[in-house]
Amino acid sequence: MEQQIPAHIEPDLALEREIAGLIVATLNLDVAPEAIVPEAPLYGDELGLDSIDILEIALVMSKQYGVQMTTDSEANVTIFGSLRALASYIQEHRSK
Amino acid sequence: MSLIPLLPDADPRAPFAFCHGKVIDRETFHAQVMMLAAALPEGPRVMNLCADRYWFAVTLFAAIARGMLTVLPNSAAPEHIAMVASEQPGLLVLGDQADCPVERLPYFRVDVLPSATGSSTLAEMPQIAFDQRIACMYTSGSTGTPTSHFKTFGRLQLAILAGAERVWAAAGAPCSVVGTVPIRHMYGLESSVLLPIFGGGRMSGQIPFFPADIAASLAEMPTPRLLVITPFHLRKLLEADIALPDIAVILSATAPLSAELAAQARQQLGCPVLEIYGSTETGQVATRETDKESNWQTLQGITLEERDQEFWAVGEVYETPQMLNDTVELFSPQVFRLVDRKANMINVAGKRSSLSFLNATLTSLPGVVDGVFCVPERNGNGDVERLAAFVVAPGLDRARILAGLRQHVDPVFLPRHVVFVEALPRDGNGKILARTLQDLIAQHILQRN
Repeated sequence: MEQQIPAHIEPDLALEREIAGLIVATLNLDVAPEAIVPEAPLYGDELGLDSIDILEIALVMSKQYGVQMTTDSEANVTIFGSLRALASYIQEHRSK
Repeated sequence: MSLIPLLPDADPRAPFAFCHGKVIDRETFHAQVMMLAAALPEGPRVMNLCADRYWFAVTLFAAIARGMLTVLPNSAAPEHIAMVASEQPGLLVLGDQADCPVERLPYFRVDVLPSATGSSTLAEMPQIAFDQRIACMYTSGSTGTPTSHFKTFGRLQLAILAGAERVWAAAGAPCSVVGTVPIRHMYGLESSVLLPIFGGGRMSGQIPFFPADIAASLAEMPTPRLLVITPFHLRKLLEADIALPDIAVILSATAPLSAELAAQARQQLGCPVLEIYGSTETGQVATRETDKESNWQTLQGITLEERDQEFWAVGEVYETPQMLNDTVELFSPQVFRLVDRKANMINVAGKRSSLSFLNATLTSLPGVVDGVFCVPERNGNGDVERLAAFVVAPGLDRARILAGLRQHVDPVFLPRHVVFVEALPRDGNGKILARTLQDLIAQHILQRN
């Protein structure tokens, strides 16, 4: 499975903003979408997302962009590593 | 004392485990258990932290063969691991990772032994004492302090066979088992690891997470298939609405399953959902088809009794009767209705803790003057409960609170909302009244949503 995050892609700032909005709305987070730092980890202390949240986000991504997430490779950790990584993965693989 | 074979009689060529496209037969499983048993260093007890279900099973049975106790922590939170390690001297960590997944404990990697095939490597099947303690599980307990709980080989096997009788009957035959649930918790250990081993089924090595993963794990195994899952994960799987291979039966446990969700699963996937009632202390006690019946039927060999206003599970599967964590209404020793889950216990997507443990943890953090956890919206629609916390901690911010809690508790219990207040109104007994808490929730959390 090709789940590499190509480093050369320019960040799509509008898509990042849109995904940040979806994450905050879906999870009812206590932060503003623009407060999510694109390079900061989604897991861990900053935003504090856990596996339940990741599953919720994956569902929204599949509904919104037609991208099915899998844990087939280590790439999963990378995809959810940050908002920027997630947006760039969606940009590469979106079917709608 | 009676002795039982380590592994049940089975066709040596029968497919047993399916791991990323590789099929492992019963004989190879047996051989790998014996190889690892021979290779394990001396020691009284091991902590099995394998990530792959197949290697978890090989490691568990190798430890049993060697007479070693397997310690199963209930989370990977560093403080919990440290507590377990201090309680269990001489602990060796066994895993299938390149590096030890926890700190400051000796490590032995189990999945890099030379591969064993063929009966030439097989010695005679070890005979295990009925009363041999094989596993030590940790519960969060109603007081919140994790307590150890031991399982013996013969009793665990009896309980599994009773469960197999019920589940295989619903499926029509022994199943290929795919589980999304943690293998170090009682439900996952019983239904996704021991059920296929003792019950003559087949196991998946994977612990799939995303809906597409679940579909792939199911697809690589022959019918009939059993899916072992939690209500939260089942709901997300149905919402994803992707094509799934035929499933014969779904098992659900760890959190209450709604009749609506059970009915939706039956309608969408064409199979029944068996809900299991149980706990770490009791193991699986009873089942029901939640969309068709409200009463629970105990498994063969288990009955319930009321004594001293408590309810107890009784049977040969228990060393001593085990108290239920819930209030039930008994119609017969085998049939009951669940009246109420005991207060204080909370359940987030199938993981349990108690409010008293979380509150004690919160108030013990440096810089926290006072604090209390709450569940802002305890609704019945099957949505996952996320926690919030009110904290009196001048000088601390949300990130510091979360980082402190993360050392002690599973991430799912971290508060979604952290509301800083100047003081918490406690009554003369030092308690925060439920009504006071409701007011705080209404004022600070619900209003904003």
